[in-house]
Amino acid sequence: MSQVIIYQNSNGGVSVCVPTGELPIETVLTKDCPPGAIIVDDATLPQGADSVFFDAWKLNGSTVTVDFPTAQAHKLRDFNAAAVQVAQKRQLNTLAGIANTPDDATFTTELTNGRAAIAAATTTAQLVAIANPV
Amino acid sequence: MAGTIVCDTIQDGAGNSTATDNAIYGSAKAWVRFNSSSGSSCTIQASYNVSSVTYISTGLYTINFTNAFVDTNYILTGSLGTGPGTQAGFFGFADTTNVPTTTSCSVYAVNGSNALANYTRISAAIFR
Repeated sequence: MSQVIIYQNSNGGVSVCVPTGELPIETVLTKDCPPGAIIVDDATLPQGADSVFFDAWKLNGSTVTVDFPTAQAHKLRDFNAAAVQVAQKRQLNTLAGIANTPDDATFTTELTNGRAAIAAATTTAQLVAIANPV
Repeated sequence: MAGTIVCDTIQDGAGNSTATDNAIYGSAKAWVRFNSSSGSSCTIQASYNVSSVTYISTGLYTINFTNAFVDTNYILTGSLGTGPGTQAGFFGFADTTNVPTTTSCSVYAVNGSNALANYTRISAAIFR
């Protein structure tokens, strides 16, 4: 079981310091990390779908959890960013006289449904399962 | 056994030679390759003179050096890779997060959509 060092960073999130093995982890703790950082087994960190939302991690004592509203907001941000990319491609297609697939009405419905699914989600697994527009 | 060899030129058995400066200034003084695609952590695949890599947020990392540099006038080069069908990216100093110091530098990885992103293979080498 490998160990890492965690601490709350200035962004309010959790930083994970991974030693390369060149120095003992106790040395890395004092040399590379701020006061208050702690050594934990990496298996104790959020796994699976929770690990996808690293930017929504919060440190409570020595336990790392996912702040779900933040994860939800990040998923919506990424979904919308992907939607913008796809919308730009579709606009270029239209200018070039190329038919878009799916059609505009279906695409709009997919966006609406995706955003609704993000809003209705209650777990990170549900958020991960929602595909971004492609 | 400690000791010092002082010479201007290094030569191999075949007679190929190079100025010693090329070996001193042309070699990476630190390098690391890691995988940040797992979401929760970085996996260090190989390193030299790097004590740790800190995963700060998506696409943002700090490389900590085992032995400090003499100053901060080092250069960073690197590459990103994820796999077939994925976007190429850009890798560089993240000065706005952490100006390079003699003991560490922060780096970021940005994808083709100009968004911070994690990659399977992040390779960084520092020369001085």
